[in-house]
Amino acid sequence: MSRRFTALVVVAVLLAAPLLLGNAFLQRVAALVMLAAISASAWNLIGGYAGQVSIGHAVFFGAGAYSALLVYKLTDWPPIAGAPVGVAVSLLLACVIGLPTFRLRGHYFSMATIAVAELIRIVVSNWQFVGAAVGLMGPAVPRSLADLSFLSPLPYFYLFAAVLAVLLFLTWQMQRSRMGFYLGAIRAGERAALSLGVPVLRYKLLALLLSAGFTALAGSLYAVMVGFVDAESALGILISVQMVIIAALGGAGTLFGPLLGAAILIPLQETTNALFGGGGTGLTYIVYGAIILLIARFRPGGLLELLHWRRRRVA
Amino acid sequence: MSPEPLLEATGIGKAFGAFRAVDDAGLAVREGEIVGLIGPNGAGKSTFFNCLAGDAQPTAGRIVFAGKDVTRAPADAHARAGIARSFQVPVTFEDMTVLENVMVGAFLRQSHRNDARARAREMLEATGLTRLADTRAGSLGTPGRKRLEIARALATEPRLLLLDEALAGLTPTEVQEAIGLVRSIHARGITLIIVEHIMEVILSLAERAVVFNQGRVIAEGPPRAVVDDPAVIEAYLGRSMRRRTAPP
Repeated sequence: MSRRFTALVVVAVLLAAPLLLGNAFLQRVAALVMLAAISASAWNLIGGYAGQVSIGHAVFFGAGAYSALLVYKLTDWPPIAGAPVGVAVSLLLACVIGLPTFRLRGHYFSMATIAVAELIRIVVSNWQFVGAAVGLMGPAVPRSLADLSFLSPLPYFYLFAAVLAVLLFLTWQMQRSRMGFYLGAIRAGERAALSLGVPVLRYKLLALLLSAGFTALAGSLYAVMVGFVDAESALGILISVQMVIIAALGGAGTLFGPLLGAAILIPLQETTNALFGGGGTGLTYIVYGAIILLIARFRPGGLLELLHWRRRRVA
Repeated sequence: MSPEPLLEATGIGKAFGAFRAVDDAGLAVREGEIVGLIGPNGAGKSTFFNCLAGDAQPTAGRIVFAGKDVTRAPADAHARAGIARSFQVPVTFEDMTVLENVMVGAFLRQSHRNDARARAREMLEATGLTRLADTRAGSLGTPGRKRLEIARALATEPRLLLLDEALAGLTPTEVQEAIGLVRSIHARGITLIIVEHIMEVILSLAERAVVFNQGRVIAEGPPRAVVDDPAVIEAYLGRSMRRRTAPP
């Protein structure tokens, strides 16, 4: 009860904060935190709860981003109309990656995700139909509200927060259900899970499909906000690694871990980018590397675990 | 004679390349029996056991459980059909609590969370683990883990329970407690196949013992008779020992 109250207060403060900031840069950062939290929470379904680490989720993110702007380019519809297409393409890709590799134990899945993501990035950056090296553009000026093109970052913040809320609610329901227990069993030991009648392949695939679908939605939202997409910004390996790091930093396999991770990493990243300009991208790699080292060395369970551990100690 | 056996394995073979770990082994178990599988190290009993559990696919032979052919079925299908098992080296879900571990098993027949929890609590009660319900499984010792595996397997509501050295590595007191536990499981109407090294366990629990050596079944019968069988003594102790112990 008191925990629920604390959670409510935290959510209220988080939702009101961007309004009070009144600074466009900070509001933009807040919107990006929400967006990163969506994709990292989506990654968390397969990488955290099911323990199947994907390092190629950019392929789903890119499918969503490209579908949005491609649908706009071909039909002149609002970019967000491309989101269902992106989700459908992602589900198809998830089956292509998951069906053969989930039959094997070990790291085959991780390797397959990297391979497919890099392959598609290279194909896309050479394919004229999807803009090749130039990329795709959204509408230059908003034609209607449906274009979801706003000058202020605030509407994006609330749009992303709403999508995140839906995703976290579904995740919470999943976590408490048979599926949550089964994914935990798969993560802990497939052989034991099978012996208890857990249809391992089916549940891994289900988790991957859910994960891929929401990652694609995050990609579409990104394209709608930025109005531009190219192979590097939507399909680059940094996009995949960012999801892994955000989830692991906050706590993979926990409900709020990815949100916490995003709230720490994104402001850090945007600040270094603002301070160092274009040269900042190099710094991003260094920051990612440092975080991987710190998590691996000191807290494999992420920051949320630290919090729980403290609480248990005190109690 | 009872009608159909609950489990019937015939002509089971399992080859790893040229090596035949199990060769033409057969076993029929009637509902309500306790059967012990014994044999020296490397005799193929664990491999045979894994074939029965669906963890390994036999390269020859046929396994029929409750009238259904399960020879090629994967392990999860075996569990659904009503065959549960424990592992030689316990594999509990470390980060989950004891109760949550058992709930994973209970979810096989209960789709709702509250029903699964209620079922899991019953199983904890039956195996004497209620006190440890909220303990992290990873912090249990060996006897606790073995008990937890049995509770988890029972939660799947099996007709046949396969115990793979469930009593190995326990102290004599713990062994006595575990024997009591196995008896209470049997009293629930569950058929048992136990692989065991400790002869005392087989003698006090099993109605029938099946002896493996070099991948084959070399003897079968009441445990007392089986341990006196010259072929069994030879398999365990070697030829010279038999000569020394044989009457003049």
